[in-house]
Amino acid sequence: MSTLLDILTTAAILYSVCAGLLLVFGVMKIINFAHGGFLTVGGYSALLVTHLGLHPWWAPAFAFVIGAVCGMAIERLVVRPLYSRPLDAILATWGLGIIIGQVITLAFGREVQFVQSPVTGALDLPGGASYSEYRLLLVAVAVALGLTLAAVLEGTRLGLVTRAVIMNENLARALGINSGLVRFATFSLGAGLASLAGALITPLSSVDPNMGVPWLVNAFMLVMVSGVSLVSLAIACVVLGGAQVLVSQWGNPILGGLTIVVLAAFVLRLRPQGFSRG
Amino acid sequence: MNARVDIAGSAALAVAGMRSGYGEAVVVRDVHLTVQPGEIFALLGKNGMGKSTLLKTVMGFLPLQGGAVSLFGEAVGGLAPHLLARRSLAYTPQEQALFQDLTVEDNLRLALRDRTQFASGLERIGVHFPFIPQRLKQRAGTLSGGEQKMLLVARALMTRPRLILIDEITEGLQPSVIERMVRVLRAERDETGAAMLIVEQNVQFALAVADRYAVLKLGEIVDTGPVADGTVAARITDQLSV
Amino acid sequence: MADPVASVLPSPVANAPRKRSDLKRLGIFAAIALVVIAIGPYVLPMYMVNGLIRAFLYAAVALTVDVLWGYTGILTFGQSAFFGIGAYAAGLMFTHVGFSTGYAAIALVAGVGVAMLVAGLVGWLAFYHGASPLYGSVVTLVLPIVVTQILFSGGNFTGSSSGLSGFESFDVSIEAWFWIAGGFLVALTSAAWLFVRSDAGRILVAIRENEQRCEYVGINVSRVKIVLMVVCAAIAAIAGYAFAGVQMVVAPEYAGFVFGTELLIWVALGGRGTLIGPVIGTLVLDVSTSYLSGNLPFVWKLVIGVAFVVVIVALPQGLTPLVTRTARRIFGRRETAAPDAPVTFEQSAAAPYAGLEGAGQQALAVEGVRKHFGSLAVLQGIDFAASRGELLSLVGPNGAGKTTLMRCVADGNERSGGTVRINDHDIGRKPPYTCVGFGVGRKFQTANVFETLTVAEALRIARTRMARPSLWSRAGTLPLPEASLQVIRATGLDLQIGTEARHLSHGMKQALELAMVLALEPSVLLLDEPTAGLTKPERTMIGGILVNLAQKHRLCILLVEHDLDFVREISSRVIVLHQGRLVLDGTVAEVVESELVRTIYSGAAHGAPS
Repeated sequence: MSTLLDILTTAAILYSVCAGLLLVFGVMKIINFAHGGFLTVGGYSALLVTHLGLHPWWAPAFAFVIGAVCGMAIERLVVRPLYSRPLDAILATWGLGIIIGQVITLAFGREVQFVQSPVTGALDLPGGASYSEYRLLLVAVAVALGLTLAAVLEGTRLGLVTRAVIMNENLARALGINSGLVRFATFSLGAGLASLAGALITPLSSVDPNMGVPWLVNAFMLVMVSGVSLVSLAIACVVLGGAQVLVSQWGNPILGGLTIVVLAAFVLRLRPQGFSRG
Repeated sequence: MNARVDIAGSAALAVAGMRSGYGEAVVVRDVHLTVQPGEIFALLGKNGMGKSTLLKTVMGFLPLQGGAVSLFGEAVGGLAPHLLARRSLAYTPQEQALFQDLTVEDNLRLALRDRTQFASGLERIGVHFPFIPQRLKQRAGTLSGGEQKMLLVARALMTRPRLILIDEITEGLQPSVIERMVRVLRAERDETGAAMLIVEQNVQFALAVADRYAVLKLGEIVDTGPVADGTVAARITDQLSV
Repeated sequence: MADPVASVLPSPVANAPRKRSDLKRLGIFAAIALVVIAIGPYVLPMYMVNGLIRAFLYAAVALTVDVLWGYTGILTFGQSAFFGIGAYAAGLMFTHVGFSTGYAAIALVAGVGVAMLVAGLVGWLAFYHGASPLYGSVVTLVLPIVVTQILFSGGNFTGSSSGLSGFESFDVSIEAWFWIAGGFLVALTSAAWLFVRSDAGRILVAIRENEQRCEYVGINVSRVKIVLMVVCAAIAAIAGYAFAGVQMVVAPEYAGFVFGTELLIWVALGGRGTLIGPVIGTLVLDVSTSYLSGNLPFVWKLVIGVAFVVVIVALPQGLTPLVTRTARRIFGRRETAAPDAPVTFEQSAAAPYAGLEGAGQQALAVEGVRKHFGSLAVLQGIDFAASRGELLSLVGPNGAGKTTLMRCVADGNERSGGTVRINDHDIGRKPPYTCVGFGVGRKFQTANVFETLTVAEALRIARTRMARPSLWSRAGTLPLPEASLQVIRATGLDLQIGTEARHLSHGMKQALELAMVLALEPSVLLLDEPTAGLTKPERTMIGGILVNLAQKHRLCILLVEHDLDFVREISSRVIVLHQGRLVLDGTVAEVVESELVRTIYSGAAHGAPS
């Protein structure tokens, strides 16, 4: 029972962490390697909320805003010139990740710090065991997040317009679409979501200036195997996240940490479209 | 000079002394032309004479290096393409003119800013191109070359624009489809009173569809006049073969 | 020693200057570099000597990153893993077995061997036929993560997170290490410089520019990439081995993803695709990092991060071209115009056309070929055969499936069903480069060439299958078959052999691609609108060449053409496609007189209601 819940909550956490990266990649065809940096920004936003003595419920909202604002600045200054050079965009955003990490180090120090959790209780399971309520809450958050994003992308004109800009920007402009605005909004939203996810995961562990990097690699691989679909991202998170949980429990945690990247690489080799139907 | 301003005041499109090109290479030099509401104007010329450059400059994809462009009396030189498109202007470029990976329906919807117009627009273009309403869910890239060109025209007509710019719509089309294009464009003009600027190499098509014409050579207009004149076809063919 | 070297070495796209002075220049700079290295330990402070040894070894790895990324376009995060493998081979052997010359040799062989094996596996994963460049990068990113995790979980054997240290190592003075590492770097840079400028090295740039065209001239791109990856892995492993030998410490970080990206940063800042830029970039940055990170630990890393982002965004070619240009301005040296490539074309010895060994009269057989995209059927069971000496034109209205049929003949993975036989070889699911070996030569509808390669270089790439290119030099002559030479001379391409393809006009690009395809000496020639964009005299001339190829050289030519007059003049047979079906197969006269064809072209059969 608790293994099942572990799988479910792990998948939910991964999904929240990946959503922003998927959005930016799927819509803009740009891999945002600053995603790890934005997760870190979210973690420290939550820390700030704790320092300011606000209720921890404020952390996700606060993190989203800070992340989105950072995203806006970065899209204008760095990402915009790189749309036609996707591999360079990976490198430049990785450099941004370094910058974010160093700025945070200068501002907050290198040491590991802890953040208050909004929910501290544990839920009793049948059979006497108990399970963290906060982790269960994250499942609900992930589901809500996925449904909202899907509704916007697939069901609205905004989603269609966004896809059009990516496929053929000049044509979109000729049809009256303000493409610069679409890219700007997408990247900012992706950054905001990453930061939000950073705030959500910090109560589970801790914050430090490099907290985003391990998440980045897993998120990157999950997005790669998902194609650009939110549904296949959910499947990938459950399957690969589940495998990670199982390997960590019955194998060893270090191998568990490798599960997602290795499985994803082989899945892509055997089935280039990964978990998406395409 | 004053006369020209007066014409611009009522014209759907007025281009005065346009100079444009790519960096230092000037491709269009001192071009004047006006298209009146309800008029179909054909701009003819061989490859590389500046026809597409002129359209791209009108659409704001290339900067205006000199002169002025106005739409329905409003000076629009320097406006971004998407802002121009919102001024009831439809443009069908020569290359990469469709979203190949989107469905026919999405390609049409993208031209509309108001979704309530979709049903009525579809009904209108279905009259001209019956295959389109039947194949809304097909990816545009899987249409044949001729069907793609028809979809392009259909998309331009969806919005009931007041001015349509069309770049080489007959390229690679078979004669029957070209004839259909003539019928569709003239019917649309008669119905909505839209003005059209049509860039062409196909003289027969251009003269069949247009009211007036101009010939562009090395970036300048070397001949212009009404199509009604019976000697036009021979004269233009002569000019294009030189 | 930095600036003068940087100012002379050309960018990878630069043209070949005279060969001898080139070699002489390389010799002079290698000699200067060796002299500087020889006196280095006597004039530099000790910590500098130490730092430079490490930087020399890092620079060797950076060099492999430049060859992979700067020249071939493979963005790799994984070269650190091979460095780590080499280092751990030494560390593990010396810690657990002990040190002796014999053990040291075994460790070296083992380290390099394992690195090459792993690189082969990575290459197999990353560079399969049709893999996206992004996927390749993904795999190179996974590699260092896996290697470090394995090292972490190795317990006492690998020393886990703290690594191994304090093992016995070579009894070599620090000065000698300086000379060894420096000499290694100079030798490696010189070899890499010769290689990337050689005829074989141009293939790397060709792959970066246009992988598809490479496959269609018969180059097995996946194999080239895998071999390159294996060689680069071996070099990185040697550097890592030497590193462990001199530092007497190994740790998982040296195999890690962060070090892998650091290598990319050095290469990017120095100038990708310049070889010397990444070397200097690594030396300067690594030495200054070890010096400055003591004083300004976090700020320095921040500065590097900012510089990296600025360079990637604003100066994608790195700082080398900037330094070069500034140096030229200061010293008043004018930019030397690239001299004409010293290549002369000559007619190749008459060779049998490709794929004809043991083949019968039938050149091409297409049986029941179908192709659909999802539910849309583009080809619905096409059957025809063509013999040698036939010039077969494929006509039909837009969207009839002509280009799709061409694609299905030239690439085994394209069709959804049916069989295609070229010279009695069933193409099965074989990739384009294998089909080229069966005798197929395909010219694309829009000119498909290598934008930054010159005309001569592109033609040489097209000859790769026939003449194995040299790994270290550029040949002065380029043998080409008669037909290719005819096209080149008639279109005036021979006056532009040193011009990069991107500077050619549209028509010239078309002619270049046609000449490249003919240079393959194909026996089954697939031409998709070969004369579009050419003038009337040029069309007539190419028509003549095609007729000659079919009649005299007995080639089978399949031609897609819109210009029916052209078709009428040169074809021996015409096939009409309509809506994915073959509706007529006959002589020119039969097709011209056919009522069916007239109906199709007038559109009445198009399903249009009006």
